[in-house]
Amino acid sequence: MDLTRRQLLWAGGAIGAGVMLTACGGSDEEPTGSASGDSGKPRKGGTLRVGALGRAGAITRDPHGSQANESDYLIISLIYDTLTVPGTKPNTEPRLASDWTASKDLKTWRFTIAKGAKFHDGTPVTAEDVVFSLKRLRATPAGASRLPGIQAKNITADGDDTVVVVSDYANAELPLLVRLTTFVVPKGTKDKDIAKAPGTGPFKLDWFRGGNARLVRNDDWYGGEVHLDAIEVKIFESPQAMASALLANQIDVASNVGAVAARTAKGRKDVQTVRRPNDMAMPIVMRTADGPFADAKVREALRLAVDREAMVTQVLSGYGTVANDVLGTGDPAYDKSLPQRARDLAKAKELLKEAKFDTSKTYELYTTEDISGLAESATLFATQVREAGVKIKVVKQESAVFWDKTWLKGDLYTTYWGTNDSVVFFASKTMVSDSGQNEAGWKDEAFDTAYEKAIGTADATERTALLKELQQIEYDSSGYLLWGMADGIDLAGSKVRGLPTLPGYGRVLLEGAWLAS
Amino acid sequence: MAGQLTPDTTAPSASPVTPGRRTARTPVRVLARVGTVLLKRAVLLALLLALVFGTVEMLPGDAATATGERGESAADLAARRELLGLDRPVLERFRDWMTGLPTGDLGTSARGEKVTDLLSTAFPNTLLLGGIALLLTALVSLALGCWAALRPAGRLDRAVSGTATAVLALPEFVVAVALVLVLSLWTGWLPAVTLTGADGTPASWDMLVLPALALTIPQAGWNIRIVRAALADEARAPHVETAVLDGLPPHRVLTHHVLPGALPAIAAGLATSTGMLLGGAVVVETIFNYPGIGSVLASAVTDRDSPVIAGVTALSGAVITGVLLLADLVRDTVTGARR
Repeated sequence: MDLTRRQLLWAGGAIGAGVMLTACGGSDEEPTGSASGDSGKPRKGGTLRVGALGRAGAITRDPHGSQANESDYLIISLIYDTLTVPGTKPNTEPRLASDWTASKDLKTWRFTIAKGAKFHDGTPVTAEDVVFSLKRLRATPAGASRLPGIQAKNITADGDDTVVVVSDYANAELPLLVRLTTFVVPKGTKDKDIAKAPGTGPFKLDWFRGGNARLVRNDDWYGGEVHLDAIEVKIFESPQAMASALLANQIDVASNVGAVAARTAKGRKDVQTVRRPNDMAMPIVMRTADGPFADAKVREALRLAVDREAMVTQVLSGYGTVANDVLGTGDPAYDKSLPQRARDLAKAKELLKEAKFDTSKTYELYTTEDISGLAESATLFATQVREAGVKIKVVKQESAVFWDKTWLKGDLYTTYWGTNDSVVFFASKTMVSDSGQNEAGWKDEAFDTAYEKAIGTADATERTALLKELQQIEYDSSGYLLWGMADGIDLAGSKVRGLPTLPGYGRVLLEGAWLAS
Repeated sequence: MAGQLTPDTTAPSASPVTPGRRTARTPVRVLARVGTVLLKRAVLLALLLALVFGTVEMLPGDAATATGERGESAADLAARRELLGLDRPVLERFRDWMTGLPTGDLGTSARGEKVTDLLSTAFPNTLLLGGIALLLTALVSLALGCWAALRPAGRLDRAVSGTATAVLALPEFVVAVALVLVLSLWTGWLPAVTLTGADGTPASWDMLVLPALALTIPQAGWNIRIVRAALADEARAPHVETAVLDGLPPHRVLTHHVLPGALPAIAAGLATSTGMLLGGAVVVETIFNYPGIGSVLASAVTDRDSPVIAGVTALSGAVITGVLLLADLVRDTVTGARR
């Protein structure tokens, strides 16, 4: 598997309330061990050696830069704090912002800075520091997508401990957005000093070298007790090498190592497998605007032709769950009452006939090998839909070519996303008519209306009802075929306890980890 | 090795050169030659670097799209492109990069890190690994090659040559994976991967063993064959025949009469190996997680990061040039001494 910036960023940006869904998923065939649970009383002390994927040439020290490496993201997340962090339920929990309130129109949000929050050099964190950091983040080339709808001039301080953020439009999910990369550094930090800027996080930087780092406990952390004395982050270019290192006891945790490594380690009693459900979506995109899949009946037929169980078993080695074509499976508001689509070849053929779909032609399905399982999913899908009479040829493209030529433009291609705990996130990014990354070229007035209503509604119950309506439309006619959800998988040595089980961004929250004696 | 290179006074000399003239002329000649060769190689390196810039330019996508994020709009991308200077013609970027080269400035990566920072620990690490592998290769191939040469056409000779051919055909990753399985995961004797310490070098010496072996084994296969063939060629020379007829013991004939003449070919073989070792390092470093330039180069290509790719090329080119030059000097010294 090759790690890419996109996987990293979006997996990194992801959160995790998703546990909910899969927690009810029934018994797993293997115990996940105690790495993820809170078995016993945490012991203080010890150094945790964590392996994380990354490429030596893609290293960045800038907390507001584009973090392509898991290793960089992990190190930065342990040193610096974001305003909020992922949680289980609700999906957004306080961190540097201890509290937040919204105006009635959901445009003006006020974040209060946690009491006792200090930088590693002892200076208290002020609203000015947060404003500086948010503006710096907004000024990066990707700033507009990291803080969507928020202009730099609308980020202000009110007193010492309140930050006011005004959005261009009503946005009920703003606290969720500031979980992602809102790392806070001291006000006025110069670009050339950014790597040395003190953070406010649970660990302080001892040393950094070529993607490897040693971090020591911040005894003054406002966020609670940290058990470990230190965390050593080791950069790995390949998941195979990382798995070898864990098996040879050279590291204690192989972070986000993937299903292949988990299968390798299955026979080893001294290795714990931590599964983080709802980690990665790899849907197939069918272009709705024009082309052979523009007819909703054709898209429906493909959704009925896929064998979801087989996809999860073969592509994900069973480390995943079947999905139902609606993105945002980890959202507490995810609609579980939608009937689960299952394979129905007869119905699929009928729909294709009704739509006068040309089954004599061979269609091309574009994919990349950016993440493990993606190209395999395309190949298996092509085999499956052949039984419904649709001939598909899989075309693998090199990553850069794929994102340049196929993404957002192709008739049929695979994609992937790591932020799976928000239905609205996908709606706003990829499905609303004017969204910048409308992967399927989908335009649906009813969907747009439902979206605007949902995002502008403060009341949680009312909002959930509106989101249900939105998901029904997406289920019926969007350009996505979401067959399953991949688990995030970490491997850990037998002594490790208290690892996070949240998907996506949740995996970097290591402050609760400890080592049994 | 150097001790064996003392001029062979017993060797018949076709054009005897008086000692006095030799000491007066050789340094000048050598310097002049080194100078010409260096100049030629520098021009070659500049051409190569131009080729690198041109090739990266022709690859689909550029550093801005490759290092961008999924949410970036066309305007964001344009801004990033300008930030990275990609809006300027490739010739201009190449000229800027080249003018920084003599001052040791290798430019800035697409992610904003100084290229010299990216390479400052990675390159010495690769040199260390490659150096150990080259040394091991030289020792193993000389020892086995000579051993086989002492018993020409014997069972041992055939066995060594056969094994060498087989080993030479093994790709580095097969050797590497086998080594990890056997010497680490099954037996637990050696660490499976290289971890990096605070100073950026491997955390302990035993982490160097497996990667060095993975590089050495295929290269040794190649060099044993060269050593063996060079020795066989030289053994047919008249002065060797004279020595044998004089009744000198075989090992003395080998070390004093055959080996010196075979040295240029052996040195050239080892010099060629340097390039292959650096190339093999890309694969081996990935498998063993070794902190060298292999991984830097691989990710730089993915990122279309011309300054980084060119930086790695320039340094590797300099090293290979240096080694080839050494091999040339060995040849000059040997043939000069015999002329």
